[in-house]
Amino acid sequence: MIGRSGKVMIVLYIVCLVVLFLMCSTDLIIREPERQIYQIAVIIEDVRSDNYSNFRKGMDLAAAELNADVQLITLYEKLDVKEQMDLMDREQQDGTDALIVVPVEEEQVSAKQMTIPVILMRAGVAEAAGAGNVIVDHEKMGELLAREILEEQPADVPVYVLTDPAGQSDMDRLFLKGSDAVFQEAGRSVQRIVRGEEERFFTMLEQPGAEAQKVVILAENQDILTEAAGVMAGSEAVADAVGGLYGRGTTMAILNYLDRGVIMGICVTDEFSVGYYSVREAVRALEGAGSVPTVMESYYIEKKDLRDPAFEKMLFPIE
Amino acid sequence: MKVKGRRTGYCYAGIERTVKRAYYAGRIVVLCVAACLLMSSCQGVRKEEEKKSIRIGISLYRGDDTFINNIRSIIEEKAKEYERESGIKVTLDIQEAKGSQNTQNNQVERFISLGCDVLCINPVDRMDTSLIIDKAMTAGVPVVFFNRQPVEEDMNRWDKLFYVGVDAKETAVLQGKMVVDLYRKQPEAVDLNGDGVVSYVMLEGESSHQDSLIRTEWSVQTLKDGAVPIEKITGGIANWERSQASALMEQWLIEYPDTIELVISNNDDMALGAIDALERAQTEGVNVIGIDGTTPGLEALENGKLLGTVSANKEIYCSAVLELAASCALGETLPEEYPLTDGTYFWTPQEILITTIKENP
Repeated sequence: MIGRSGKVMIVLYIVCLVVLFLMCSTDLIIREPERQIYQIAVIIEDVRSDNYSNFRKGMDLAAAELNADVQLITLYEKLDVKEQMDLMDREQQDGTDALIVVPVEEEQVSAKQMTIPVILMRAGVAEAAGAGNVIVDHEKMGELLAREILEEQPADVPVYVLTDPAGQSDMDRLFLKGSDAVFQEAGRSVQRIVRGEEERFFTMLEQPGAEAQKVVILAENQDILTEAAGVMAGSEAVADAVGGLYGRGTTMAILNYLDRGVIMGICVTDEFSVGYYSVREAVRALEGAGSVPTVMESYYIEKKDLRDPAFEKMLFPIE
Repeated sequence: MKVKGRRTGYCYAGIERTVKRAYYAGRIVVLCVAACLLMSSCQGVRKEEEKKSIRIGISLYRGDDTFINNIRSIIEEKAKEYERESGIKVTLDIQEAKGSQNTQNNQVERFISLGCDVLCINPVDRMDTSLIIDKAMTAGVPVVFFNRQPVEEDMNRWDKLFYVGVDAKETAVLQGKMVVDLYRKQPEAVDLNGDGVVSYVMLEGESSHQDSLIRTEWSVQTLKDGAVPIEKITGGIANWERSQASALMEQWLIEYPDTIELVISNNDDMALGAIDALERAQTEGVNVIGIDGTTPGLEALENGKLLGTVSANKEIYCSAVLELAASCALGETLPEEYPLTDGTYFWTPQEILITTIKENP
């Protein structure tokens, strides 16, 4: 027989259990240690993120290591600076902690006043590049590639540059600026084939006898390089007439064409590290830690370099 | 007796008091619980009302599959279109599972912890989706599977599970029909050596994929039903991969020289692998047919290297994935333009794409 006090104790015990359960379930007693997860948005200048695959891998690794939740945002219209700035505002309003921006136009975007940290991926070394900048010097990259072309190709081979002036990003513009400077210094003539004229150009190369006078082709960006490589891979006549196809970028398609010998050489940067460093800089900025501008190196690679362990690690990073 | 009675009366009074106290305490507890529930449900309602953005977690079985990459790109485009039209911000978290079901399970866990409203999963192992479903059900996050159909038992576990794909049998029948029609019109374009028999080799996808077996079986069955005299020389599993198919084809060209007239492939990537091997061996005239209508596949079709392919309407395919996901995320009724079979499955329409019929020299 349980006494009165015993019954009271049982009731109290049950009530205590219920109250404790409720308190625990509402985090009043046992509070999970809160991990600060930083919301970071990456706004690129393109409508697709195909050219950013290695960048994404680096970004994802940094996100996992540094407790960040990173979103990659593309534009509706390529190189639409207004839309990019609107997206920056939208993300800020939506509570994003920091932004990483591949600017359509560096000047406008860097001048924009924001209340959250903004990491800029600059295409060239800006005079006042301070903290929060990850720099891939495309002008230097263009110079490097042009010098390699001069070294590899005979002096009498004409150089054709495939370009799209209407859809040119800062990266494309600076890349060509660098290559033009080197060709000009060497006294080499460079002819521009603008978007829309390339079909006529390739048809010309397909004509019998065109292979007698070889040409060198330089593509200003990844998309144009991939297209040109596709044309060469599909037409033996064009491939015979081209002494070398060059460009920049590390997409899987470009690397495959390089491996197949369709593309002769490319200039690359460690895009995996660019992705990693940009997120790291954003987190540093959020934590109030000191940040310095990160300048990335450019490398010239050919087919034989694809199997070089150092380049292999850079070009085919494992997540 | 008196003492006993008094004591008994005392006990009854005590129990009554205790019961009363317990009753009041119980009421308080019940009221507290009800208040908590009411508050949390009110928060839920407010959350639903304010929903101006959705977050979709997408996990792909592998990132280097051409068809899946096509699908990924189109889903990204569709998300942007949806965002523009509806004004609802769509955030896509896209991850590749690199062929590991374990990795995919972890990705699903991460998606849920990041607060994804809905998951779109292209399973690594269609027989092993129960863990994904368990996690999604526990978190109350709907799942739209695509491309690889989970087993029926799993799909029947919850009414918030959907599948978008193509009817594998229809695909295979269309692939077979492509050859049947050509044979009827122009037999010498298929029976290249004119011996009255079409000798073929078969390139199969992963053995664990439901579509591999069905595509293999029904494409051949359609050829037989269409009275095409066929003879299988050999076949092999190339796991959907171009390089593996290329290696197999290279070997077959050595083993069976001047014999192969037709290559039936379960997908375009493997068909392109066979074409690579044919080009290396400088063998011309062999007909190669694929499935999927991938971008490289369509290029090969345009160049006349691929005889034909069966293509799912990828625009509809991806729209269905996105629209279903968005409706689930917003708690809206499912869109009528994507009618679901058994309330779960959406089958994407398909079409035959064939190159201009070649004249046999």
